Amino acid sequence: MAQIEIRDLGIDYRKPKSNEVFSAVDNVELSIEKGEFVTIVGSSGCGKSTLLMAVAGLVNLSRGSIKIDGKQVTGPGPDRAVVFQEASLLPWRSVRGNVKFGLEMQRWNGGDLNERAMQMIRLVGLSRFSDYHPHQLSGGMRQRVNIARALAVDPDVLLMDEPFGALDAQTREIMGTELLRIWERHKKTALFVTHDIDEAIFLADKIVVMGRNPGHIKEVIKVDLPRPRDEAILDSDDFHSLRKRLRAHLAEDMSSMQLVKEVA
Amino acid sequence: MIVELFYRRQALILGTLSMIGLLVFWQIAVDAGLINPFFISTPSQVWTEFLVQFEDGQVAANVGATLYCFVWSMGLATVVGIVLGMLAGWFRDVESALEPFIWFKYSAPTVAFYPLFIAWLGYGTPTIIAIAFLFALTPIYANTLSGIKNIDRDLAKAARSFGAKPLDIFLQVALPGSVPVMMAGLRLGVGRALTGVVVAELFGANAGLGYAITYYGQLMQTTKMMVSIVIVILLGVILTQILSFLESKTDSWRVDSGR
Ligand SMILES: Nc1ncnc2c1ncn2[C@@H]1O[C@H](COP(=O)(O)OP(=O)(O)OP(=O)(O)O)[C@@H](O)[C@H]1O
Ligand SMILES: [Mg+2]
Repeated sequence: MAQIEIRDLGIDYRKPKSNEVFSAVDNVELSIEKGEFVTIVGSSGCGKSTLLMAVAGLVNLSRGSIKIDGKQVTGPGPDRAVVFQEASLLPWRSVRGNVKFGLEMQRWNGGDLNERAMQMIRLVGLSRFSDYHPHQLSGGMRQRVNIARALAVDPDVLLMDEPFGALDAQTREIMGTELLRIWERHKKTALFVTHDIDEAIFLADKIVVMGRNPGHIKEVIKVDLPRPRDEAILDSDDFHSLRKRLRAHLAEDMSSMQLVKEVA
Repeated sequence: MIVELFYRRQALILGTLSMIGLLVFWQIAVDAGLINPFFISTPSQVWTEFLVQFEDGQVAANVGATLYCFVWSMGLATVVGIVLGMLAGWFRDVESALEPFIWFKYSAPTVAFYPLFIAWLGYGTPTIIAIAFLFALTPIYANTLSGIKNIDRDLAKAARSFGAKPLDIFLQVALPGSVPVMMAGLRLGVGRALTGVVVAELFGANAGLGYAITYYGQLMQTTKMMVSIVIVILLGVILTQILSFLESKTDSWRVDSGR
């Protein structure tokens, strides 16, 4: 059995200032193997974050179920850690304090907290900045802290919601490569939401393409590019054909969005 | 280098210069016979009188009495305001339950309660402390409330994702996040507590700066009265500055974050 089993998942939200309910995500079926790197793409508002937050246990399910290692997800748990789009670091804590935060919340007792935090900070290459506060860091550095904080609690599953969304293309590429380096070492199961097609392909074993109204899975694409990967594969033929396929999917979604606008 | 120093301390230097300018203008205007010293005295007379009152112990006695009431009222307002503010910020029901009192306090002038307090507590220190306490309470309570209530939702979500319990979120996210706003509330509270003490002393006391102001005021001894007025102003400035300093210490993580 797969490590993560999502069955017939549906999540409803209430529209603001009314009792109307709408489905942000519906009929989602997805299986993710242990150690797999899965990226989720889809146009804005199609429910990517909602799906990820459901796996994190941060939103209530309206229908269906999510199981991790056979256990029903009913809330956040130490088997999962989230890297949010906005770095969401505590501004009054130093880099080290922030990396320790998750450990403190989980009442971690696997040894010295400082030691553990420093180890993770080294892993993301921020040793020199461990005493800095978030406002003294660049966006990219903040996301490294964010990743270190998630890795520190040693989760089985790493959930990432557009962690590099706010970064420029170049930094993004570097961060992606580095994330793969770390992932290849620790082999955590990873769920990674992104807008960026290249990023989605570059990182993934498997790409989940989502459509909208309500959010659903359109297709799951296997990526068989060899690992370890580096920027060179961006120019390979396989990469190009995958990119073409994803573009077509997203363009389709955009035109349906156009249609909605015209009707409305 | 002097120019550089000037720019660094520009606000302080300009403020000091304008103060000195005012004092000089005041002195000259009275000396030139433009203003009757009876209404306003002169800086040099006030200074001379200050030395006299300092020598005979009046200054110490008045400042001591005023500070005593100030410390008690500010201390009580800090404890009560922060505790109630935290409860109301965290529990919606507590906020709703306290809301009428806050509206009441905002719309009715606190001094209006003065006769009531006289009836309950008698003339003197307890009444002064009670009035000043009420003066200072509102900003401390209101700021603490809004600080806790406006907790950063994203940070709370991140904390929950790591399994934080509500108490963890309160202690690790809501509370540290509201320290700067709470400090601003305390700074406002300090000014208001001092005002409260002096105002209450104007009405009924047998010591304190407010008492000295009415006492000499009724005797039409302007210079003697001005000494206490100037001390009240200086006290207010010093206390507020201390709080501003503490405030800047506590929100260093916030000051340049948005820029
Ligand atoms: N807390 C909420 N309450 C009500 N509606 C919500 C809530 N969160 C999200 N939604 C709605 O659910 C839908 C899906 O939102 P979601 O954030 O999952 O999209 P997304 O695919 O992550 O978009 P983006 O790529 O722009 O981040 C949107 O229509 C959004 O308005
Ligand atoms: Mg999103």
